[in-house]
Amino acid sequence: MIRIDRSIIFQIINFVALVFLLFRFLFKPVVKALDQRSQFIRGELQKIEDEKKKLEEMRRSLEEETAKLKEKYLEVLDQAKIEASKVKEEIIREAYEEGEKIKNEYRRKARKEVEELMGNLREEIVELTEEVVKKFLATQITPEIQTRLIDTFLEEALKELEAQVGMIDGR
Amino acid sequence: MDGEVVRIVTPFPLTDEQREHIQTRMAKFLGGNLLSFQEEIDESLIGGVVLFVRDIIIDCSIRTQLERIRESIMKGE
Repeated sequence: MIRIDRSIIFQIINFVALVFLLFRFLFKPVVKALDQRSQFIRGELQKIEDEKKKLEEMRRSLEEETAKLKEKYLEVLDQAKIEASKVKEEIIREAYEEGEKIKNEYRRKARKEVEELMGNLREEIVELTEEVVKKFLATQITPEIQTRLIDTFLEEALKELEAQVGMIDGR
Repeated sequence: MDGEVVRIVTPFPLTDEQREHIQTRMAKFLGGNLLSFQEEIDESLIGGVVLFVRDIIIDCSIRTQLERIRESIMKGE
């Protein structure tokens, strides 16, 4: 016959009671707490995922805006270049016209001054020449030459006068 | 004096030959009227003669010829 020690039975009962108690008061709350913690973590992970999606969306949107801004910037830059080119051409054209005007004015003045100088020079040369010729001729006129001058010039002058009188009188 | 009066200006005194020639030619021009001369000397004429008759001036002087040449040159002709 098997002899069972009462203390063993008591220990078994104690053990079962301990297991029951542990299961009842420790295991369940721990499992529950772990579940709650797990749910919390899943929720947080979901939130993180949502935030990540939002951030991704924002990043994409930002990139699109950046691309649009860049496009707009290039467009404005091109327009500014065209405008600058027009302004540059206008400035060059105006400067050229102004230069031409000044050049023509200087040419006109220079031409006028040259003409005046030439006129004065011509006058001086003619006057000097006339004086020289007069002095020279004064020494060359002999009575014979004077007679020939009178004959020739008087004849020509009178013929001219007679022609004029004839035309007036109808002769 | 009778007839037309002709004023004659020359650079030096006229010779008889010159005076006679002028008289003959002027008489023909004026239709044979009797002429009387009033002679003057103007050395600035250089050569030739200037005649004043009625309201006509017949300028045949070297001075005037030179002046015409000068005017022509000054006008650039």
